[in-house]
Amino acid sequence: MEKDLHKNGYVIETHDLNLWYGSKQALMDINIKIQRNKVTALIGPSGCGKSTLLRCFNRLNDLIPECKITGEVFFNGKNIYNGSSDIVNIRKNNGMVFQKPNPFPKSIYENVAYGPQTHMIRKKKELDKIVETTLKKAALWEEVNDRLHESALGLSGGQQQRLCIARALSVEPEVILMDEPCSALDPIATGKIENLINELKENYTVVIVTHNMQQAARVSDYAGFMYLGKLIEFDETLKIFENPSNELTENYITGRFG
Amino acid sequence: MAQKFHNELKRLKDDVMAMGLLAGDMLTKAVQALKILDINLAEIVISQKDSLADNDERIETNALKLMTLYQPMAKDVRTIACILKVITYLNRIGRYGKDIAKVTLEIQKESHVAKLVNIPNMASLVGQMIDDVLNAFNTGDLSRIDVKSLTERDDDLDAMRYSIFRECISYMLEDPRTITICSNYIMVARYLERCGDHACKMAEKIWFMETGKRVEIS
Repeated sequence: MEKDLHKNGYVIETHDLNLWYGSKQALMDINIKIQRNKVTALIGPSGCGKSTLLRCFNRLNDLIPECKITGEVFFNGKNIYNGSSDIVNIRKNNGMVFQKPNPFPKSIYENVAYGPQTHMIRKKKELDKIVETTLKKAALWEEVNDRLHESALGLSGGQQQRLCIARALSVEPEVILMDEPCSALDPIATGKIENLINELKENYTVVIVTHNMQQAARVSDYAGFMYLGKLIEFDETLKIFENPSNELTENYITGRFG
Repeated sequence: MAQKFHNELKRLKDDVMAMGLLAGDMLTKAVQALKILDINLAEIVISQKDSLADNDERIETNALKLMTLYQPMAKDVRTIACILKVITYLNRIGRYGKDIAKVTLEIQKESHVAKLVNIPNMASLVGQMIDDVLNAFNTGDLSRIDVKSLTERDDDLDAMRYSIFRECISYMLEDPRTITICSNYIMVARYLERCGDHACKMAEKIWFMETGKRVEIS
């Protein structure tokens, strides 16, 4: 097992990552390794830093004024926080899906084609193909192929969220970062997204932040428990939920605090 | 919600304790009834069987309800898994008590052919094992069900059963009229030995519930 892990390598690795919003420290000495082609879940009570950590993986925190970061985040072995890294490329490789579905107020087709177009793909034939394969990957094609040019805002919440996943997939990322992707969805739509996550890990690495522990237990291979800005425990999902090593983790997952 | 769940889980554990006391009581009373050939006491034990079965079913239903409603994790889910196993063992222990009580009814017309002190001795050893197991289940203190102590006690039970077996064989050789009653003694010894095994299995489940690690007893 250990050997396999090493051979497959880690897509993302952080070394002593610290982050401050102004004077408030939100992440403390985070060392985490994200396994390729696996689903990693981050759990913990509100404000523990899990979304902040997720947003470090594609430098989304750069957009927040007064945010200061020390330490290193490696993507495929390269530190993305040194001056020479290409932010556009980082975000292309680390697609993101947010809590509330946020499709562009454009057609379904344009939502998916937007990314590839920005990355200089202009031929209609090529774009058509990308839109189709990507919507298929996001398990949405069957439901929308007869209305690709209608507004994305006419889709249901669950469909919109899968469209957002398709939009992230359209530029062929390696990692999909999901920040509470199901918390605005009903159980059926949630089930579809969870199935999708399970399929996506064949070709992508998924990191998911979730408040729903049962969801983390269902979809992930590895899970990290965070509390007050620290990564308290990181292990295989089954270990975390069946028999965690740390008492804080045990207390959190059994509902004794948080 | 978590508070509500933990209150309900506590209540479920209390129910298991009550069922455990009932099962242990049935076994103790059955052996007492056999010893003094007390038909009334034996009949009381037999009548307790239904209450035991009701406990088993009610606890199982409530355990499944808690799983469905709260999807417990870690020690909480191990506790429910432990409860589901333990009630089966307790049910069997109580039913062995009922089986021993039936033996008393069968041999009531005759008298005992021998003293067979090892049967009450086995019963008191098993009773103590069950008490220790239930105490560990209730308090989480595993000191009285450590692997070595339970294994030794289980070995003692086996040795006593074997001694009863040999003793009965010699009576039966001497006087074939004792065959029926001695066969019953051998059965009772076997039941008591099985109850000891069940106590050990329960202890294994309680170890797993408390520590998340598997242990093997005897």
